[in-house]
Amino acid sequence: MKAWLGLSVTLIIVVAAAGAPWIAAHDPLLADFAAGLKPPGTPGHPLGTDQLGRDLLARVLYGARLALFIGACTVIVTGIVGGLLGLLAGFVERWPSAVVMRIADVQLSFPFILLALTINAIVGLGLRNIILSLSAAGWVVYARVVRGEVLSVKQRDYVHAAAALGVGRARLLFRHVLPNVAPSIVVVASLQFSQFVVAEAAISFLGFGVQPPTPAWGSMLSESRDFLYVAWWLAAFPGLALALTALGVNLLGDWLRDTFDPKLRV
Amino acid sequence: MRRYLLARLAQTVLVVFLSLTAVFGMVRLTGDPVLLFMPMDIQAKDVEEFRERLGFNDPLAVQYTRFLAAAVRGDFGDSLRYRRDAFGLVLERLPATLLLAGAALGLTLVVAVPLGVLSAVRRDTAFDHVGTVVTVLGQATPGFWLGLMLIYVFAVQLRWLPTGGMGTAAHVVMPAVVLAAFYSARVARLTRSAVLDTLGEDYVLTARAKGLAETRVIGKHTLRNSAIPIVTLAGLEAGQLLGGAVVTETIFAWPGLGRLTVQALLNRDFPVVMAAVSFTSIVYTLMNLLVDVAYGWLDPRVRKT
Amino acid sequence: MRALELLVVAVALVSVAAAPVLAQDRSRTKEIVVGLGAEPRTMLGVTIVDWTTNNMLEHIYDRLLDRDAKTFKPKPMLATEWKIVNDTTWEFKLRKGVKFHNGEPFTAASVKATIEYALDPANKTHFTANAYWGPIKEVQIVDDHTVRFVTKQPWPNLVDSAASTNSLIMPAKALKELGPAKFAEKPIGTGPFKFVEWRRDERLVLERNPDYWLGAADASRVTFRFIPEFSARMAALLSGEIDVMKDVPPHAVEAVERSGRAKLRSTVSSRINYLALVNLKPGPMQDVRVRRALNHAIDVEELIKQVLKGRATRMCGPLAPTNVDYAPVECLKHDPARAQALFKEAGIDPKALALTLDTPSGRYPLDKDVSLAIAAQLQRLGIKTNVVVNEWGTHLDKIKNRNTGDMFFLGWGPALHGQGTMPPLFLADQTYSSYGNNKMLDEKIARAGTLLDPKARAEAYAELQRLVQAEAPWVFLWQQHDLYGVTQSVEWTPRADEKMWMYDAKIVAR
Repeated sequence: MKAWLGLSVTLIIVVAAAGAPWIAAHDPLLADFAAGLKPPGTPGHPLGTDQLGRDLLARVLYGARLALFIGACTVIVTGIVGGLLGLLAGFVERWPSAVVMRIADVQLSFPFILLALTINAIVGLGLRNIILSLSAAGWVVYARVVRGEVLSVKQRDYVHAAAALGVGRARLLFRHVLPNVAPSIVVVASLQFSQFVVAEAAISFLGFGVQPPTPAWGSMLSESRDFLYVAWWLAAFPGLALALTALGVNLLGDWLRDTFDPKLRV
Repeated sequence: MRRYLLARLAQTVLVVFLSLTAVFGMVRLTGDPVLLFMPMDIQAKDVEEFRERLGFNDPLAVQYTRFLAAAVRGDFGDSLRYRRDAFGLVLERLPATLLLAGAALGLTLVVAVPLGVLSAVRRDTAFDHVGTVVTVLGQATPGFWLGLMLIYVFAVQLRWLPTGGMGTAAHVVMPAVVLAAFYSARVARLTRSAVLDTLGEDYVLTARAKGLAETRVIGKHTLRNSAIPIVTLAGLEAGQLLGGAVVTETIFAWPGLGRLTVQALLNRDFPVVMAAVSFTSIVYTLMNLLVDVAYGWLDPRVRKT
Repeated sequence: MRALELLVVAVALVSVAAAPVLAQDRSRTKEIVVGLGAEPRTMLGVTIVDWTTNNMLEHIYDRLLDRDAKTFKPKPMLATEWKIVNDTTWEFKLRKGVKFHNGEPFTAASVKATIEYALDPANKTHFTANAYWGPIKEVQIVDDHTVRFVTKQPWPNLVDSAASTNSLIMPAKALKELGPAKFAEKPIGTGPFKFVEWRRDERLVLERNPDYWLGAADASRVTFRFIPEFSARMAALLSGEIDVMKDVPPHAVEAVERSGRAKLRSTVSSRINYLALVNLKPGPMQDVRVRRALNHAIDVEELIKQVLKGRATRMCGPLAPTNVDYAPVECLKHDPARAQALFKEAGIDPKALALTLDTPSGRYPLDKDVSLAIAAQLQRLGIKTNVVVNEWGTHLDKIKNRNTGDMFFLGWGPALHGQGTMPPLFLADQTYSSYGNNKMLDEKIARAGTLLDPKARAEAYAELQRLVQAEAPWVFLWQQHDLYGVTQSVEWTPRADEKMWMYDAKIVAR
């Protein structure tokens, strides 16, 4: 049941994102001052327009592309960085484990916005900032989970057997441990994906959002605050899209976890 | 156990020290400290003069050592913006933050744990599915969006609750709900999976076979053993809540630590940033330590390692 | 289930009992609540230059001189007369019979003590800078109600400083006995309201001073509540929790008016917005023809009408009518043909031109949206504009380090006199300037600042404005409109110099 719901919702979002240029009748970047803040149902603008007259439906659809892009990039970056560090920490243990865990602690203990601001000072606002900031905050989960998984896989019999047979450390890591840890990485990735998409909204709220006029759900939601009492649709539709995406991907991730490794605690 | 504790304590000190250094460096990277708190029509040479007087023209190493030496004594200097002791400002905000964090945590535990337990016990029923959807939505809804919706409905339209600020019990309700909505999701899902795990264990089968009432099985046997991950998460959340409630505090005009930190960062008020981050860093790592210790206490198997 | 029902009832009761005091109740007790986005940075006068802080401090302290709400010329407040004695000396006659909240009499000693506090390096105030009280050499007490300012050089604008929040007077004796730190805990002034409490980052509470020399205020109590999030402030206004709020955005005006609970009060502000065309770095902006072309290419009227919903007043030169040194200049009208001709003359093909526009976000009304609209307008001529949105601190840093793109959006205010507007913005070595290295202009600006004779001053500034208009260092945009949301039961008119003085407010019980 969960799987069907998750899969179908996610598919809808992906299709909408891919098909944006054909489904949307307008250019999401085209400003038409005279048509600002029109409500949903206006001819030609089924979801209404924003303050600069841009079609909301087009912006929501193109926003799906960006959401998926941000989610995917962040997941890949954090997966690789966190995964590698976690593998190292779990496999070698002793001081690499302590070092990685303490770095994680250091980073978790200071405010996320500091990361965003520092990155802002280096690369400026925009997409790179978002992906870097989210990655910087997100790798920790991977590292922790992967480390835990590696620690437990290491105890398994076949690993002991392989070691007894004289298999080299590197080979042990990549041929025996990694394949068994891989499913958990995938599961974490899917669960983190939706988190990152939502986190983009928080970053935009703090002022570090995507550069205009690029449509991104988070920055659209953040901008909609100013228009809450005059144009509810500016907050409603991006918010709905965000919630649905998070729901779909999350349910999918849940199903993945239930299938591969129900014991996995994320 | 003692050796473990001592080792962790030493590591904690190291972590705090590293945090302070990292923050010092990062904050310096974010921009000119003096520019933002000067009025716009001030002359360039006056800005220079202020910078010189406040010691920002000294080489970085000098500034760093000066900062560390004072920080150890709890002296982070005066806020550039408010001209008051920076650490004092942080302490002033603490009660408000603690109140909100406590309320949110309490609400989370009261709502999420039973929800998680029930979801686990009634696995794969309609209740479970609806519960999952609700919790996912709780995590998927951006905090500021939920907060503004609540304000609109309950404060503007219904006039049941105030729009923000601090003062009476009514003022805590909405901010705590917004915070709890997010964390409840995580705690509920974790509780569910933790309980599911223990429900499959042998001792539960035995308890059931013995004829114990279901509630007793769950309450006494299951929960106690599921407690570990729940406690871990709760402990970490508590640490995060201290500095992480920025969005909620801003929306509801709650005079807390998160908001102070963010404003200080955006205003490049270095002393306050250092004071606030040092404080939250220490508290967070201490909470981490406490959680690890509690881990050892709750699970005898860990104690031996 | 019983327990649950009881809980719901209990919560409801608690909420009702603890419900915020609503607007109707407040109009009976004559209390006003003002919603602001930021809290004051200090309770001491002449310490920090910050609009928010000084706006609130003006309720506790008085200025030496006020400004007339219509003409913005200085008018008596704590000082009743003023004159220039010689090139470096101003004399002020002080009002008699004024007392501080603690009973201490207001005399020349108070003025001397306040200025000396401001200039003392140990106090680290902003006011030691030349733009504030820096040019003062000493303050002389002639007698109890006469004080003289001796300056290092001729300072014709001293009266403007005296007529602003730069001169909030503190009591000499209390300041000396308590020292600034302790004095700040319970500040004492001569103003229409007395300090009650300051709950940091939450609220500042003041109560009426019944012995105020101008007559007691209508409001019995003024509370400033600090609500950083704009939509929460709006919510508070619409729900009746606050009575006054500043900066209602143009598109929310309707919502305010429709609410039935509050109405809009607006005024043309002295604060100006402009698009700086940076000529301090090599680039197309160094050619005056390109700058003029941009002025003709951008349709300012359309921006005002469509983006700001009419809530701005167009400017054609660097100074606005609310500036005392204003002189009218000709407008660079919207004329795409003329723009094309100028581009051609300068040897630039607009279709091949790519510019960068730096803008802050949320600092000025619809700043980001205006910048995007400008980019869209330039697109009509084929010019590609990359709009870079900066966090406020970064924006200022970039301007200071001359690191912005070809253009940047900025505001300036309150812009009440030429000396405060032209030198900081048109001289190459000034922090936030976008233009400079024009020797002729440099000299004329410096000279205009030293002229004591009002007629000569007016002529000099009129000439300057004509010259600046011809040089087109900016795309001249507009004066902001300050839009305030005010609850139905409060009668209060906003001022163009952004002074938000609750003394003027009258509460009408409805």
